[in-house]
Amino acid sequence: MPHTLSILLQNEAGTLLRVAGLFATRSCNIDALTVRATDDPSIARMVLEVRGDVPALDRLVQKARRLVDVLEVEQSPP
Amino acid sequence: MNAQPNPPAIHPRAGQPLTGAEVIVQVLADEGVQMLFGYAGGAILPVFDALYRHNATHAGEDGREPMPLVVPANEQGAGFMAAGYARASGKVGVAIVTSGPGATNMVTPVQDCMADSIPLVVVCGQVGTAALGSDAFQEAPVHHLMGACAKHVFLVTDPARLEATLRSAFMLARSGRPGPVVVDCPKDVQNAALRFHGEGELALPGYRARLRRSDQAALSDAECVAFFEALRRARRPLLYAGGGVVAAGAAPALRAFADAFGLPVTTSLMGIGAVDTRAPLALHMLGMHGTAYANYAVEDCDFLCALGARFDDRVCGAPDRFAPRARFLAQVDIDPGEVGKVKPVHWQHVGPLARALDRLTAWGRAHGVRPDLAEWHAHLARSKRDHAMNYDRASPLIQPQAVLEAIDRHAQGRAIVSTGVGQHQMWAAQWLAFREPRQWLTSGAMGTMGFGLPAAVGAQLARPDSLVIDIDGDTSIRMNAGELETIARLELPVKVLVLDNGGDGMVRQWQRLYYGGRFAASARPGRRRDFVRAAQADGFAWARRLDDRNALEQTIAAFLAFDGPAFLEVAIDPDACVYPMVGPGASYAQMVTGPHIASREAAAPLAAAGAMF
Repeated sequence: MPHTLSILLQNEAGTLLRVAGLFATRSCNIDALTVRATDDPSIARMVLEVRGDVPALDRLVQKARRLVDVLEVEQSPP
Repeated sequence: MNAQPNPPAIHPRAGQPLTGAEVIVQVLADEGVQMLFGYAGGAILPVFDALYRHNATHAGEDGREPMPLVVPANEQGAGFMAAGYARASGKVGVAIVTSGPGATNMVTPVQDCMADSIPLVVVCGQVGTAALGSDAFQEAPVHHLMGACAKHVFLVTDPARLEATLRSAFMLARSGRPGPVVVDCPKDVQNAALRFHGEGELALPGYRARLRRSDQAALSDAECVAFFEALRRARRPLLYAGGGVVAAGAAPALRAFADAFGLPVTTSLMGIGAVDTRAPLALHMLGMHGTAYANYAVEDCDFLCALGARFDDRVCGAPDRFAPRARFLAQVDIDPGEVGKVKPVHWQHVGPLARALDRLTAWGRAHGVRPDLAEWHAHLARSKRDHAMNYDRASPLIQPQAVLEAIDRHAQGRAIVSTGVGQHQMWAAQWLAFREPRQWLTSGAMGTMGFGLPAAVGAQLARPDSLVIDIDGDTSIRMNAGELETIARLELPVKVLVLDNGGDGMVRQWQRLYYGGRFAASARPGRRRDFVRAAQADGFAWARRLDDRNALEQTIAAFLAFDGPAFLEVAIDPDACVYPMVGPGASYAQMVTGPHIASREAAAPLAAAGAMF
């Protein structure tokens, strides 16, 4: 089942890698990805589309919320 | 936890011109660092030089340096020394290494600290910013490697951010769920001409917002009501305490809470020492190699409260069959990601453990909660007696458990003990008593062989007046055997005990159980290492091997009484196994207690008693 995750993160080199690494570790392929600076240039918004069951995705969301440079993770239906 | 150093409003060196390396050393001093572990190399030389000058100019009257540097044989040793220092003291451990292999040798300790939530700050040298990504000499992608295993990693490419970054690294390492933080520092950043500010951290808005939320979280009256309603209904409540209790300094709060309501406590491997293991209602360790009576208590309990514990697979190999009679599961943790991760719970709280426990104790006392648990206590006391730990006491061979019993008679639960990984680690966890937290230092989640020796160095330096014993295995100790020389060189009075069963005992135990007794890679035919001569060559004045079981008591007494580094190799029964054992993925009902510990099946009257539940 496809899901869309919206992640606010510090707009710095290396943060994309950390978030993407979480999904790679759980063999969760990212189908679509955009990253853009927000009105506050120190913060970027990343929008990902991934497939997976809800418990697996919940765990990924929890893991993403542990990352130091992540501000917020929102999960929305596609 | 670390006492937060209280810097003056204006730092005496604020505004001074310093190099990047000098800034690093000054921030370390400001953070209250009293001991450093590190190994030099080209890309970190400016920092070591600044440290040398700092120590030379700030030495005390007696010549003591404010931040002495301990140099290991291998960077991994520096990491585990810093980790042992952190585990034994509760302070942040600090390691400084060079780029490339220096940094990659540090990956294992960093992952180990991450897995066990140990506060560590690692400063790595890195090739100059202009050379980054050019396959330069001793260049490694530290940001990528450490990013995957540390709590956080910083690559400092802007010298102006160095000071705030290093200060933030300490904040990150010790706050929330503690962990390792790596600061990757290119050589030109270390040499940069900077102005010292004496204050300031990075913004880290997301982390700080989450930290504030959990720091401010308080249990509401309604939450307390729900908790104690469930406890009132419970007849067989059990507390399951993990490493979080130790990390949070919540052991006194846990003891007060358990005492107030008569709640028995079992601990995970990482939680050992959270309660005095000799207390009547302490059930010692649960899990794969937990005591039979702890595991039976988990089977029997109707109320389970996990405190700073995460139901990991060595405790909870079969989550759906774990604590099958528990009608109420509660969990308190500092990390929201751990709550309900493995086992769904009915009641949860995310926040500082000591505060939550103090609040529960106060609420329960104020509302006259005094559960009548006499029957449960009597049942547990019978269970502790009937399913007591035991081993082959008739064997002519030295049994490892007998060695640990002898150690325990002398140490009386007061020693600080580090271990390698494997059978000796489990025997030590099962057989030794610990009165207080931070006495039991073991690589729990990562299971890193070679942890024991360097961790003992760090622990002895953190607590110079304590008896520190590394209980090691003959293959674990090999992994970092170079640190024997470090112990002798520093004249640390560490006691190194090797339980020698001639190979990888735990691997053999699994091969016996699950691989038809084919000892692939674990049998070591041929010449054996002469550990005693090796220890002597490294400078141990007291180094002996024990083969005769009749000499056990006197040898252990002499070993522990020796005033200085001592090394004792004990030739143990090579076929001794660790029991009880709950196989991987198995439930506690499938626990095998082995030939010397009575199981419920073996003790018919008790099986009947157990069936009551």
